Amino acid sequence: MERIKVRQLCFYFVAMMPVAKLLVYPATLTYQSKNDLLLSAFVNCLAEGAIVALVMLLAKKSGKSLFALLENTFGNITAKIVYGVFALFFFASALLPFMEHKNFVLQVMYENVPSIISFAPFFFVCFFACVKGFKSIGRMADISLPIFIVAFAVLILLAFPHADFAALLPLQGASAGEVLRGSLFSANWYTEAAFLLFFLGHFEYEKRASVKVIASYAIGSAAVLLFLAVFYGVFSDIAIRQQNAVAQISKYTTSFTSLGRVDYLFIFAIALVMIFRLCVPAQMCVHCLCKSFGCKPMLPAAAVNILLLALTVFFNYSFLELQTLFTQRLWFLFALFAYALPAAALLLKRRGAHE
Amino acid sequence: MNKLWTSIFLTAAAVLLLLFFSNDFGLIDIQETAIVVAIGIDTAEEGEGYDVTAQIAVPSSTGSGSAGNVTVKNAQTVGEAISELNHETGWYPTLVHCKLILLGEAVTETDVFRVLDYFLRNDAVEDSCLVAACAGTARETLQAQSPVNDISASAIAKVLSSEAQETGLVSVTILKDFAIGYYSVGKSGFLPYISVQGEAESQGGGGAAPTAEIDAAEECAWLPSLKRNRWWKPKRQPLPIAAPVSSESGSQGGADSGASGKSGSADVFQASETMLFYEGKQVALLSPEETLAYNLAATDTDFAYGSVTAEQDGQETVYNLKMKIGKKKRSLTFENGMPVFTFTVRANARLADTDRASAILEVAKTQIADDAILRAAEKKFEQELSSAISKAAAAGCDLFGIKQRLYRYRYREYAAFQDSVLTAAQVHYDIRFTSLK
Repeated sequence: MERIKVRQLCFYFVAMMPVAKLLVYPATLTYQSKNDLLLSAFVNCLAEGAIVALVMLLAKKSGKSLFALLENTFGNITAKIVYGVFALFFFASALLPFMEHKNFVLQVMYENVPSIISFAPFFFVCFFACVKGFKSIGRMADISLPIFIVAFAVLILLAFPHADFAALLPLQGASAGEVLRGSLFSANWYTEAAFLLFFLGHFEYEKRASVKVIASYAIGSAAVLLFLAVFYGVFSDIAIRQQNAVAQISKYTTSFTSLGRVDYLFIFAIALVMIFRLCVPAQMCVHCLCKSFGCKPMLPAAAVNILLLALTVFFNYSFLELQTLFTQRLWFLFALFAYALPAAALLLKRRGAHE
Repeated sequence: MNKLWTSIFLTAAAVLLLLFFSNDFGLIDIQETAIVVAIGIDTAEEGEGYDVTAQIAVPSSTGSGSAGNVTVKNAQTVGEAISELNHETGWYPTLVHCKLILLGEAVTETDVFRVLDYFLRNDAVEDSCLVAACAGTARETLQAQSPVNDISASAIAKVLSSEAQETGLVSVTILKDFAIGYYSVGKSGFLPYISVQGEAESQGGGGAAPTAEIDAAEECAWLPSLKRNRWWKPKRQPLPIAAPVSSESGSQGGADSGASGKSGSADVFQASETMLFYEGKQVALLSPEETLAYNLAATDTDFAYGSVTAEQDGQETVYNLKMKIGKKKRSLTFENGMPVFTFTVRANARLADTDRASAILEVAKTQIADDAILRAAEKKFEQELSSAISKAAAAGCDLFGIKQRLYRYRYREYAAFQDSVLTAAQVHYDIRFTSLK
């Protein structure tokens, strides 16, 4: 149930990690960093890549789960409390992507403004994934890789001829402060290192596993940077209004005038991978709750999904406020949980007193 | 979780995902939906606000589509007019298929984004739709009858097609590009300028003016399929063509047809002129020759026809040339501290026709244009390009992206020259036409 393979981790970073950054993130980044959005994103990727490398180093040296490491260092109760706190973090980090995806589905895939209940089926899928544990993340990564590669490549190729990359000039058109603010205010889109931290002990460290995972992370990050470059090249000075970026960049291909929006086929494919990716923070939350309370996943999974559904309904008309809260006010929490704490995990005792 | 529950969950998840993606509950009742294919915006004829004309496609059982126009008058905003369209007609307007936004000439005299921002705010309209300005009013233009297409919006869209752009005859703009220009540092843009030209009367032409108001009951005659449809409730949800002429709210709805007259005059849409904009207001108009020169030097046009006059055997002769652009480049450099804007164009030309009878050998060698003709073509091209750039610079319009280049590539000099670069830049023309030898 809770095992995952290094191969699947690699696939996760290549295929599932980038899709979380294809909807609202590009426009949000443009709002802060303007045409220097690539610099901001690069800073984030570099920082997160470094944390991923540190976590893989920890995996190489200890081979234990985070819970075991915490238990060795602080004792069982503290380990449960830390897992409980992380459960709250994962719950919070799941909310904004859920809202993003809900808006994407309702705005892009529906002709009229549909009822919010149209999005409800997603929570059944998420509930199922939460019950199945880490093994399902691995399987989703296996499925996602070919889908993502084909769909992403086609969408980028369709958009490429319409992208004016000179729009990214002048370099440093935005001030250093704006670039840094862009990086910090988008911290909520960079939580992969925290996920990796909880995979510790659930995969068998094989030869050159760190290199493979870091290389996969680099490929996923390159895909994000390429997408951002094409996105800004296509929309330039009006990029800020392009929510649901992945559904927008490829629609200007003139052959669609007679065929219709063929690119929707690939957008649907990306949306499917997004669904898989959306489940991950909820799955992490359920995993942490199970460890904290020592229970089976059924009840926490139900509770988490019902709560997420309720909050999605509650914040239905407050997406902008929620986004502002998460990006501009709570960015330090994301930086703490996704960057600082995973890096600090290296300081945990790798051997128990009895070993 | 046992296998039974796993199977149940998997099946339920699959079914729910299918519903989730398929929009199965969001089907649109075509009988109650007005499919708007074009929007025309004019300043109000009487009073303040805008007159917004929606051209609505009417599906027919015969397969040949037709369209009717509905005008909402004196709306304060375009959004209000679209809502009013629903109130006036009972039909829910869907703008997903709106492929053309037509701006009346008077609208272009003020900032056009007072009306166009509605389409940027509203994702119901794709920003890939065409935008154009027209002579007179958009309402009259949409009422014109094309000899080749029943729906005037489709006829205009054909005139503004990407194929037309590639031949350099028109400068096509979509909403996204026009908006990018408006919000860029240059604050400039251009729109094709459409004029309707009355052509020969078609057979049996009764001389009905294209703008004639037609009785609503009479118009219903071209909608047999809808009249027969029992699901349609005429009292509760009248057809757009039966919209009342006025309403209590003070706005007025007019109804007319863009396609009702199968006989009568046929009109041709011309879009070879280009209207230039600065800060959203029209500031100049490029002639067809200047438009062609602009397209050859700065847009996707790679293939075009043009005429030049050259002297041969002591006689002035008009040569029609077929031009293929091999290379086009615009660059901004600084010489002695001053900006220099350079056009580099390499083109291949061949003779397509002349205005005099030629010997058979000359006809056989039509791929070869001699040097005198090529030099004349270069000179003509440079003249028209110079005229276009001068016109744009005088009006403050960054048509060729000079200011944008200054911002992107010479950012250090931007502060010093941002207000003057259009007029201060020295323009160099490096234009070479070649032909088969």
